[in-house]
Amino acid sequence: MMLARLNTLLAGLLAAVLVLWLLVPFAMALLWSLVDPGTPWSYPDVLPPALSFQRWVLMWETTTLSTAMLNSYTLAPVAAITAILLAAPTAYAFGRIDFPGKGIAQVVTLTPLVLPGFVTAVFFASILVSFGVYSRYGAILLGHVVLFIPYAVRILTVSFAQVNQEVINAARDLGASPLGVFRAAFWPVLKPGVLASFLIVFILSIEEFALAFIVGSPSFTTIPTILFSYLGYDFIRPNAAVVALILVVPNVMLMLFLERLLQSANPANLSGKG
Amino acid sequence: MPKAVKVALLLTPALGLVMVMMSLVIWRAVAQSFGLHNFNGEDVLSLRHWTEMLGTRRYWNALQWSAYVATTSSLITLAIAYPLALWLRKPFAGSFLLSALIKAPYFVPGLVAVFLLLNVIAYHGIVNQALMWVGLTDRPIRLQNDRNGYGLIALQVWKQLPLAFLLLQGAVQAIPDPVLNAARDLGAGSVARFRKVVLPLTARAMQAASILIFIGVAGDFTFQATVGPTRENSLATLMVQYQGVSYGDWNAAAVVGVTLMGLSLVGAVGFTALVQVATRIAERA
Repeated sequence: MMLARLNTLLAGLLAAVLVLWLLVPFAMALLWSLVDPGTPWSYPDVLPPALSFQRWVLMWETTTLSTAMLNSYTLAPVAAITAILLAAPTAYAFGRIDFPGKGIAQVVTLTPLVLPGFVTAVFFASILVSFGVYSRYGAILLGHVVLFIPYAVRILTVSFAQVNQEVINAARDLGASPLGVFRAAFWPVLKPGVLASFLIVFILSIEEFALAFIVGSPSFTTIPTILFSYLGYDFIRPNAAVVALILVVPNVMLMLFLERLLQSANPANLSGKG
Repeated sequence: MPKAVKVALLLTPALGLVMVMMSLVIWRAVAQSFGLHNFNGEDVLSLRHWTEMLGTRRYWNALQWSAYVATTSSLITLAIAYPLALWLRKPFAGSFLLSALIKAPYFVPGLVAVFLLLNVIAYHGIVNQALMWVGLTDRPIRLQNDRNGYGLIALQVWKQLPLAFLLLQGAVQAIPDPVLNAARDLGAGSVARFRKVVLPLTARAMQAASILIFIGVAGDFTFQATVGPTRENSLATLMVQYQGVSYGDWNAAAVVGVTLMGLSLVGAVGFTALVQVATRIAERA
């Protein structure tokens, strides 16, 4: 009885702390993005004196934010689809074929996750200089595919392993073509894994900073690099608030969707960080 | 088609790509640190860039700082995540919500986390106002880029806690109840159960968590560049300074980059050993 009470008390306390460390910061970010540019929010006002969407309009019209968003949102889906297409054959081998050295091969696939991001970015840039590659879009795309392909391989390996051999055999016995077998036996099982891979690579590509910053700056901006510039030497709080929300809100929604998609799966397995 | 050929063909697109790109990147860093692929002159294989770098204070300070922040952050994160995972092993009213709240920062990109922190610790921000209200200070304190890096470490812990919690929660929940019940029936108290059953069964998850946190924090650029003490450098910020427009010294950057990879490796091995030794001592004691 005592113990149960204590537990409830502790849980309530922790929940309060957590709300403070999530809700308050996000509420402040939202408020800062809505401060009217004409009437600044300064000490000792507890709340902004005037709220408007003027800052959002200004950011859209006068900064490179729209270009950065275009860059980010054209990079991410292409990176995700490319990663899935390249990951699928390897995932098939990992999930459905037994061969010597499979364990090692699977570990090696994870190397992009353990190498420090900025080391990868700087020396990837160095290779680009040597080869005379000047397409920023192409370079960052290749980088993102390499960095995030381990996630796609990992998720799709599980999906391929779940495909039932008996269903495949049955489809074949009934005279299905290879495409027919794929549609009947593989696709229904693979579909959630493909969607999950797409989402995770998409989200990670939108958020990726090191490579986009080292390879892309100053000419090629993405949402994270523009946010970094507002956090650095020219710290403009309301501008940073707008960009931060543009970066975080869509991704959190996608992440929640991804969680639902993988309800039963442990996210630690999913991210390959297990 | 022979099976080996088939497997090789299947592995090429993803594993092949990763192997080629990552070995090129690692090779590039090592080669440039020894004077090859020199963009500023002739390629000469030499130790010059290493000896020059080892003679500068900036290098040693950055190495020390990165190692310190990574170690401290890993230990604090584990110290918070482990009790939480144990406490939330058995579901109770509200435990699901709590787990979700603990994991939430996982979804917040690092740069956004920086911005959130900068608002909270601003000169007239909520933390300063609270400190003044409690009476700990008469006037606001400068919390941004504090000299001791407390803000930096706090942010690292905030960001790394979900991962540690996820890994540890997975391990703790995987312990079958019958095992714990059997230990209890055999007369093991709660401390003994923790030492002899829970700890050994979760040691691998702790190793994995500490390694990933250490590597993640040791390679940090973003947090150091935005909320870290201005007079310190992390290895990553130092590397980017050498490589960037002000110096354009790729060879020096390579020396720092190779050092960073070395530090990650040392940290990984160190934490693996530390957890192993600690578990063994706890088991025997």
